[in-house]
Amino acid sequence: MKHRVVITGVGTINPALHGDSTAIASWLAGLGPRPERPRRIDDRALETLLDGTEARRLSRPCRMSVVSARAALADAGLPGGDSLGLVVGTEMGDLRSTIEFADGYLGSGPSGCSPLLFPNTVMNTMAAATTIAVGARALSLTLNAPTVAGELAVAYAAGAIAAGRMDAVLAGGVDELDALCAEMLSVLGDRGDRGEGATYLVLESWEHARARDARPLGEIRGTAWRALVARPHGVGRGVTSRAVASALGQARCAPSEIAWLYSSANGDVARDRWEQGVLRAAGIARGRPGVSLTETVGHHAGLGALRVAAAAWSTRAGRLPGDPLERVGGDAFGPGAPGLVHGLARGGTHVALVVGPPPA
Amino acid sequence: MRRIVVSGLGAVSPFGAGVKTYWDGLDAGACAIRPVTLIDTAGFRCRLAAEVPGPLAGSARRSRADRLALGAAREALDDAGLAAAERRDAALVVGAVGGGMLEAEGWYWARRRGGPMPVAGTLRPILPSAHAEMLGHRLHLEGPRATIVTACSSGAAAVAAAAELIADGVVSVALAGGADALTRICYMGFNALKLLDPAPCRPFDRERKGMSIGEGAGFLVLEEASHAVARGARIYAELAGAGSTTDAFHVTAPHPDGDGMARAMRAALAAAGVTPSEIGYVNAHGTATPQNDRIEARALAAVFGEGRPLVSATKSMIGHTMAAAGALEAIATVLALVRERVPPTAHLVTPDPDVPFDCVAGTARDVVVDHAMSNSFGFGGQNVTLLFRRT
Repeated sequence: MKHRVVITGVGTINPALHGDSTAIASWLAGLGPRPERPRRIDDRALETLLDGTEARRLSRPCRMSVVSARAALADAGLPGGDSLGLVVGTEMGDLRSTIEFADGYLGSGPSGCSPLLFPNTVMNTMAAATTIAVGARALSLTLNAPTVAGELAVAYAAGAIAAGRMDAVLAGGVDELDALCAEMLSVLGDRGDRGEGATYLVLESWEHARARDARPLGEIRGTAWRALVARPHGVGRGVTSRAVASALGQARCAPSEIAWLYSSANGDVARDRWEQGVLRAAGIARGRPGVSLTETVGHHAGLGALRVAAAAWSTRAGRLPGDPLERVGGDAFGPGAPGLVHGLARGGTHVALVVGPPPA
Repeated sequence: MRRIVVSGLGAVSPFGAGVKTYWDGLDAGACAIRPVTLIDTAGFRCRLAAEVPGPLAGSARRSRADRLALGAAREALDDAGLAAAERRDAALVVGAVGGGMLEAEGWYWARRRGGPMPVAGTLRPILPSAHAEMLGHRLHLEGPRATIVTACSSGAAAVAAAAELIADGVVSVALAGGADALTRICYMGFNALKLLDPAPCRPFDRERKGMSIGEGAGFLVLEEASHAVARGARIYAELAGAGSTTDAFHVTAPHPDGDGMARAMRAALAAAGVTPSEIGYVNAHGTATPQNDRIEARALAAVFGEGRPLVSATKSMIGHTMAAAGALEAIATVLALVRERVPPTAHLVTPDPDVPFDCVAGTARDVVVDHAMSNSFGFGGQNVTLLFRRT
């Protein structure tokens, strides 16, 4: 890595909270063993966070994305511009708009096809709305992946900064919990515990952040993404993770130095077992405290990014959020210890990020 | 700085399967835009599209888009002659938009209309990421895997992202490209936006009335240059630079000054260390909508000045193949360097005076070009330029 990558801002909106790194820290610190879990973001509350035109024009996932991105940039004190990039991870995109567009045709024929809804049927619609809202004019990418889209977006953006291609990137994920979407997933046997929301991180090179006196919340010390062998939508047998090894290598960190873990456990039992096997084989899972936060806000692409934000908090707070049902074991580890954020999807896409404390 | 070369090509286009078939069609200036057969077009203004002719290779249990993707990806890997171990470590970056939507639409149409329901498995490949999962499994690729959705520039964005993985030293080899099948949503949506020409599209013509949609898949094997040389690979061209920008202006319309497009082209020139005067050919995004062609010409003029380089639009022959377009057009650009022949713009009869370039009307032209660009732009103001160098 040519450049060190720091997190300088976070913004999130999900059924449990809306806010920046301070709000997230307070929420994480106060999480009890069985957190109350609202299923959906309140639409009226969401509308109040946007101006009237945006609230009228934007679809729900676009609204979530814009609200979260603005919170992250405000947290970082960073404006938009030609050098600000955006990487959005999403699993489902704006599927509700696609369904509404189809319903227009099925109800009224060709005259029922809405030209306003059509752009939302393309999965980059959240990125489009967000770049316009915040004025991000450098690279903008939407990454689609099951389960790990948020982690993948953060890892991708961190890689671009580490290589020196970008100075600052908004990276995160967004997904909506939709009834028909849930029905389609259940037809396919999906057993994950789903939720909705959006979370973005502002990632910067350490030089860029320092030059503008930004406050780093944590450092992404290593990232890697690979694929494990599996059938499409299937769970594989292989557990040897080159992603974990590569991320640890970049971070110059031995598996034994990893003090804690945020995994992508989501209630899909076969997938969760596979991930545990991968982490055990990498020398990570056994004896490490670990959480996934899925119980708190439900699985969605924004949660992947929220895990990275929570990991930065853990490096500062020296502990994981209270969620003992999901813990693998262990106690508080003290501030400053590095940890791993890990994601593994059915089909084999696989992401690892080593997160450490802010540079001194 | 690691140099990146193209060592394998694969295409399934509206001309049929295979790179040779694709190039022969382009070289002849043939038109593959015909009446739609895959979906019901009753009541729509435009009833044409560029469909891939059947029968398609591969299992009928796969989505149509998966079958297009597999055909092109397999051809590219075979063309590159990679050993099994090299394949295993290769990155896979796929540009996708529609995923398995054509089959999912069938499920949803039946659910709404109360007809016999297709088996639930038809929903499984609905998401764009399904192509990468299928390709990774079938082709035994275990390197970094990503699915990129940047609307109509997805295929080019995938190529650019794969090149970055090689430049950063993450991998030595990458398979990158894009795939899309015709879908009802796409066909109806562009009809609703009134962006489709009822006749085959006419990029850069004064009388142009809009685009034609299409389908297909294109994949390129990218490789670190010394790795390719060491294994004696055939090298088609060097991917010398890429530029990606965002307009941040409008969800569907490009910035009226072509600002984002020009920034993408300049970024690609800077990455390649090439001056505008060294570019001999630009494979334009060239959709044939009145607005896109005028603004792209404005951006080209801002970067190159009026009059040069040569500009042509592959979409005049194979339509707009959506996520595949950027990859198929990258292949056309590479082959223009290799064959020393620039593919034409079909149906260009009356050049638009707002497009101050030689757009190679009607017939391919023999020209030796050392550097060529491929432009791809998408909804959301997503601009990607790829710059290839002759080797």
